[in-house]
Amino acid sequence: MDSFHPPSRKDYLDRQQKQGRGLFGVFPGRYPREIFWTLNVLPVEVWDPPLDTSGSGAHLQPTICSVVKSGLELIRQGRCGMLDGFLFPHTCDSLQNLGSLVRDDLRVGKPCLDFYPSKIPDGPVARAFFRKEIERLSSALEPLYGPLDSSALSHWAARARELAEALETLYSLRAEGRLDTTNVEFYRLVRSVEFMHPDDLIPVLSGFLKDRVLSEPLTSPAIVLSGVLPTPWGLLSLLDDLGVRIGDDDLLSCGRRIPGVCGSEKDPVAAVMESYFGMPPCSTTHAPLGERALQLLERVHRSRARGVLFSIVKFCEPELFAYPALRDSLKRQGIGTLFLEHDVNREVPGQVATRLEAFVEMIEDRGSEEMRNRLKGPGGVS
Amino acid sequence: MSLAAALRYRFMRDLGAPALMGAGGARRRLRPRKKAPHVHLGPPLECGRRLRELMTRHYFLARYAKGAMPVAWVTSGAPVELLRAFGFYTVYPENHGALCGAKGMGAELCAVAEEGGFSQDLCSYARIDLGTAISGRTPVGRLPRPDLLFASNNICQTVGYWYNALADRWGIPLLLFDTPFNFSGEPGEGSIAYMTGQLEEMIPTLERVSGRRFRMPVLKDVLRISKETAETWGEVLGTMKTRPSPMTIFDAFVHLAPVVSLRGLPSALDYYRTLLAELQGRVAEGVGGIRRERKRLMWDNIAVWFKVRDFSLLFAENGMNFVAATYTNAWAETAPYMDEARPLESVARAYSRVILNNDLGDRLRLMEQMIRDYHVDGLVIHSARSCKPYSVGQYDLKRRLMEDLAIPSVIIEADIADERAYAEEQTRTRLEAFFENLDG
Repeated sequence: MDSFHPPSRKDYLDRQQKQGRGLFGVFPGRYPREIFWTLNVLPVEVWDPPLDTSGSGAHLQPTICSVVKSGLELIRQGRCGMLDGFLFPHTCDSLQNLGSLVRDDLRVGKPCLDFYPSKIPDGPVARAFFRKEIERLSSALEPLYGPLDSSALSHWAARARELAEALETLYSLRAEGRLDTTNVEFYRLVRSVEFMHPDDLIPVLSGFLKDRVLSEPLTSPAIVLSGVLPTPWGLLSLLDDLGVRIGDDDLLSCGRRIPGVCGSEKDPVAAVMESYFGMPPCSTTHAPLGERALQLLERVHRSRARGVLFSIVKFCEPELFAYPALRDSLKRQGIGTLFLEHDVNREVPGQVATRLEAFVEMIEDRGSEEMRNRLKGPGGVS
Repeated sequence: MSLAAALRYRFMRDLGAPALMGAGGARRRLRPRKKAPHVHLGPPLECGRRLRELMTRHYFLARYAKGAMPVAWVTSGAPVELLRAFGFYTVYPENHGALCGAKGMGAELCAVAEEGGFSQDLCSYARIDLGTAISGRTPVGRLPRPDLLFASNNICQTVGYWYNALADRWGIPLLLFDTPFNFSGEPGEGSIAYMTGQLEEMIPTLERVSGRRFRMPVLKDVLRISKETAETWGEVLGTMKTRPSPMTIFDAFVHLAPVVSLRGLPSALDYYRTLLAELQGRVAEGVGGIRRERKRLMWDNIAVWFKVRDFSLLFAENGMNFVAATYTNAWAETAPYMDEARPLESVARAYSRVILNNDLGDRLRLMEQMIRDYHVDGLVIHSARSCKPYSVGQYDLKRRLMEDLAIPSVIIEADIADERAYAEEQTRTRLEAFFENLDG
């Protein structure tokens, strides 16, 4: 176990570039990857580059989240020379202004594009706009990479479906406890989506699935992870050390981007849209909190998790606003929760580790109690 | 809606509210003046009393609106004109948050929300509102529980998260008017069609909640009043281009309330016509908002509501008059886009063009224009802990304004309504250094 390591991001991107593939930096979170792949461009996502962010203080207030700060640092420190440009999907107010700041103030000399995902419920108006946004994005990329071929888009929409299906299979097996992996390794694998091309990644996922499926489910206690990112890595290691399995997640960067319904329409843009609108409810698109809570409960049930760990990036408004309602919904169902706040790329402080240990003890006790009750119940052994 | 509630509302509107206003006026007349007008400030605006009455009446009647008419809680940037066409009584939590902040209740209500699990790092307007929703506490007596929530993310995404939390708490409908961010200038036709389509899609929900049919002529009337109100508010602000400016931006912060909360109603338009006449009179007579206007300043961002009075005196003492603010300008700048011949489309255009829905380059151009038009000598930038769309980018705007126009500026780190996020000494020190710089 724990033997999977993705290729070094830099080496991989170097190779991609040498193969003639364009590289485009993409900030969090949802956007149509298929458009990039069709244009033979690799979207390289920028979530939490491991950089010292102290220099970003010249541009950003201390109360801005570390995802935005580390993204800014990547550009400010000139560490993205290989990227042809940047896409800023409209995810939150801070990322919205970051796009403008990078383009107008840092003057990176590269295209800075935006993409506005509709934030109203799925329907004809939302879909018509989404189609327009796809056209607008394509038009902005075409001068750099040539025209978007409709039949090629169909191919890549199908490839996106394959990728989503592979990820969903991974998630399902993990939820059942039938995946032989650690928390750290699982997220190393899943986060490869952020920079690997599907032609490379799908075989990796298939290979992983082939080698790691267990015939008997694991009995270690499971939790569901909620928030934006699975990191800091130290948190995942700590959970591994405590023998706790992440059975599922509704992380913006991971589980919340796997469409439940994949588009299979003949019209390739409709297929892209179908996948987009099939993604789980998300705070960043103002989905009703009840829908998100229901989704979270489903994840708890399918993974037989004993608790939910809210691991939230400090100052992340969409998640912080959603937290109380989600916590209360879970509590009403008797599901324990723990709230942790952190900056990306920071060590897990001792105090946080202690709280996590206490949480794990609590859910283990609860699990033992449930087991005792089951044994005492009708037909059980008293 | 219930007949009893409607009768009670009418009684309060026709008899209760006038009696309350009358009693308040009598009390004020009988009460000895506490102190003479401040030596550095100009004479107070006559309209101040009328403003108090207007807003007191609004909050007083809000207590009786529930059941008598549909009630909506609305964000300051939402196209309320559509709701007015259905007879909604509208409450503005942001205005209420400002009021709570100004009355020193901000921290107390924020703490209630924090006990409920909302982080102290979230917007203080939202925390105050959620604190009121949880506890029922408010300085205005009582806020009616809404039948509908109406939010537009043209000012921030925060309102979407915040109103979602309210909708979840009360199980009531939330209509979100989604205005795509203008990353590169004017909104495209795709965006306009999207926004217009949303407004059309909202009509059946509004009909259901209000129990009234949609009538386009009513919307057109409301739109005409709204446009005229915004234009008159623009003229009110325009009087501040003269030297001395007939009022300060701190006056404007207070007199902003009707265009935010009563937009689209004749009472707001009447009010601004009266205010405009008074200000024009002061301009003709050379009466200033402060006694000795040596320097003219611009304010960026929402007010620090719990410090409005203190700042007003501090700047006046130093002969510094705030004559413009990007914040107060926001309710005037998009009036020209409103067109009753194309009601829904023009509403989409107008509301998508507000300052916070545009990129930083657009904000820079607007600020430069205002600096020129209002003859501004310096800029005070409020970096508000609560407001990310307003605050992210301010450090660079400051630098670029210095480069482009050699405008000196200072950044103060504070908050809009949570006084716990304010450091008096640090702010004073920065402002004193700024005054020296301006005078140097």
